[in-house]
Amino acid sequence: MKPSEILTPIKQRYGTAIQRIDRLDDRRLVLHVDAGALKSICRFLFRDLDARYIAGIGADDRPYSGRFMVAHNFAFDRDGLLASVLAMLPADAPEVDSIAGEVPAASWSEREFHDLVGIVPRNHPNPKRLVLPDGWPDRVHPLRKERPWNDRPDGYDEDRPFAFDPAPPGCVVVPLGPFHPTLDEPAHFRLYVDGEIVRGCEYRGFMVHRGIEKLAESVLTYNDIPMAAERICGICGCVHNVAYAQAVEQAASIPVPPRAEYIRTIMLEIERLHSHLLWVGLAGHILGYDTLFMHCFRIREPVMWIAEKISGNRKTYALCLIGGVRWDITPELHDELDQVLNRLEAQWRPLVSALLEDRNLRRRAAGIGVADRALIKEQGLIGPVARAAGIDIDCRRDHPYAAYDRVDFDVILAQDPDVWGRISVRAREVFESIRIIRQCLVKLPAGLLQAPIADELPIGRIGMSSVEAPRGESHHWLITGENHRPRRWRVRAPTYQNLQGIPAMIRDQRLADMTITLGSIDPCFSCTDRLETVDVRTGAVRVCPPEELRDRLRQRWNEPTTP
Amino acid sequence: MLQNLCQKMFRRSLWVYHANSGGCNGCDIEVLNVLTPYYDVERFGIKLVASPRHADVMLCQGPAMRSTAQALRRAYEAMPSPKLVFAVGSCAGGGGLWYDTYSVLGPVETVIPVHYYIPGCPPRPEAILYGVALALGLVDKQVAATRIGHAAFPVPRYHPEDLRPEGGLAIYQRQEKI
Repeated sequence: MKPSEILTPIKQRYGTAIQRIDRLDDRRLVLHVDAGALKSICRFLFRDLDARYIAGIGADDRPYSGRFMVAHNFAFDRDGLLASVLAMLPADAPEVDSIAGEVPAASWSEREFHDLVGIVPRNHPNPKRLVLPDGWPDRVHPLRKERPWNDRPDGYDEDRPFAFDPAPPGCVVVPLGPFHPTLDEPAHFRLYVDGEIVRGCEYRGFMVHRGIEKLAESVLTYNDIPMAAERICGICGCVHNVAYAQAVEQAASIPVPPRAEYIRTIMLEIERLHSHLLWVGLAGHILGYDTLFMHCFRIREPVMWIAEKISGNRKTYALCLIGGVRWDITPELHDELDQVLNRLEAQWRPLVSALLEDRNLRRRAAGIGVADRALIKEQGLIGPVARAAGIDIDCRRDHPYAAYDRVDFDVILAQDPDVWGRISVRAREVFESIRIIRQCLVKLPAGLLQAPIADELPIGRIGMSSVEAPRGESHHWLITGENHRPRRWRVRAPTYQNLQGIPAMIRDQRLADMTITLGSIDPCFSCTDRLETVDVRTGAVRVCPPEELRDRLRQRWNEPTTP
Repeated sequence: MLQNLCQKMFRRSLWVYHANSGGCNGCDIEVLNVLTPYYDVERFGIKLVASPRHADVMLCQGPAMRSTAQALRRAYEAMPSPKLVFAVGSCAGGGGLWYDTYSVLGPVETVIPVHYYIPGCPPRPEAILYGVALALGLVDKQVAATRIGHAAFPVPRYHPEDLRPEGGLAIYQRQEKI
């Protein structure tokens, strides 16, 4: 289906409400619509045309057009099309109808632009603070253009507690995080626990919100941003690096030399190898299977070494500049990479067959953290979480970038929408990555690493780019701007959507399954927060007194056991 | 002086608690790596623990954030004395790229006292091992005069002054200085 075929039903239905349609290219579409019709159009795209929700963006466009801007991005995965539905809002009343009622996946995005830009989503089902620290004053919105990046607002109150929802009746509050044993990064979950069973939870995260988007808009320039983008996440840094560069290249119509595209593909797959091996190990560690953890890290280490040989660093590759890459794969590296892959495959194959045959592991991981198709659709879950449930989406194939349209690979699927399925998908994806790198090494064309760049990048163009990170789709959206930096750059990391599915995934599960359920989406809070701890008992948590706990235990002891 | 004190106070196994107050995960996974077969920190008796109450040493990663400052302080206070704090990585040591943004307070030393710094973005596992071993007097400090090779791979900045016109097109060029 071409963009025109998707446009026909939209035009028929909302003829006058659509002000303008920009086709950025065959795979990118921007619909400028009336703010009043935004909700209805988003609903139509999400429900009737079955698009996947990607992200919502709020921007302060007052210095340029005198208005605020809000956009919602959708993906048509089967058609390889990314669409952005964009509406302008008056400067004096930046309000828009919330679409979270119709498109639940948009809930966080709307809370985010409420916090950061001050655009109010009307009738939002849960209009609480999401991103900013608890003590941040209510009327200060850091992404507004008049606020500096190093804002130190008056009225910051460190002791102000976060207003958590009241716990459901009969439940005990178990605080988890910010600094806790399973995850390295800070994030706070309040679990509402009835005996052993989790009845619900509330997430208070965004503790790693470092203000990268604001830095990009006000301090850094186009070629500095890849370096900052890479530090959004220490595990999938290269993904953000490439996604950003691609978004700028698409906005400014810069063709990237083929050799650079192949090198990007190789580095992205090297990163996927190390991330998958790391995650399978960590999943084993969380489940108490430390042998697996140690083996995975042993097998993974040569991948880190070869990355260092190629780029000069084990983790932060500093790969992309606008229009190309900085590192070359020399003939010596070519051979060495080949050997590393051979050894990796030889060591990983027996481990995977042992892992996938392991009945103990299977019994521990199967049936927990279930994300069914309905939840995946509603919350826009992506990556291995979706693929484990048999949903065939993968940006590398659906929205090809770099050299993925020139290599042959399978999208790994499973039919178990649980933790087991995710382990299986990620363990087997390693082989596909090896296959892709081998093909790239064979096909690697000679030529430039950097495209020559026309004088200045055009201003006011929109760029969109989706890159398949190890844990799902990473989406970057930007508008090019003055002073050699984007006006607005929005990053939607995969965990941003996957984490929204967690409350449903842990509901009515045992408390002991919470950590692996959370671990199974491979949460990456720094990506999600982009802007992040240890003890959770801050705020008005009702800590269950020991006597009550004892009474409850006894009560449970005396309950007749249910068959 | 501090080293002598360390040798005296932490002569036996060190239990390490690692606190990410707002980092990108890069340092975290390198610290994890230190536990694994190639580096195997347990041969020095160093062990990662889950609670600050069991720890002798805290490894801090990431800058001090507004939202985690209080929690970090509480974690530090929960550690029994004597205690050591290491700032691992550029963010913990100096605040990193975002040292002055609206949600960052700066390096972790703005919130809790820091005794040792392990630089790098992220530091290599060897560097983390070496840093901890050095603090404990397991190895001797070795210093060699080096010149930082920063200018060897300059990032061309996108700026009109740096763009040299060539047949209507301007091309990236490596600058001599940044």
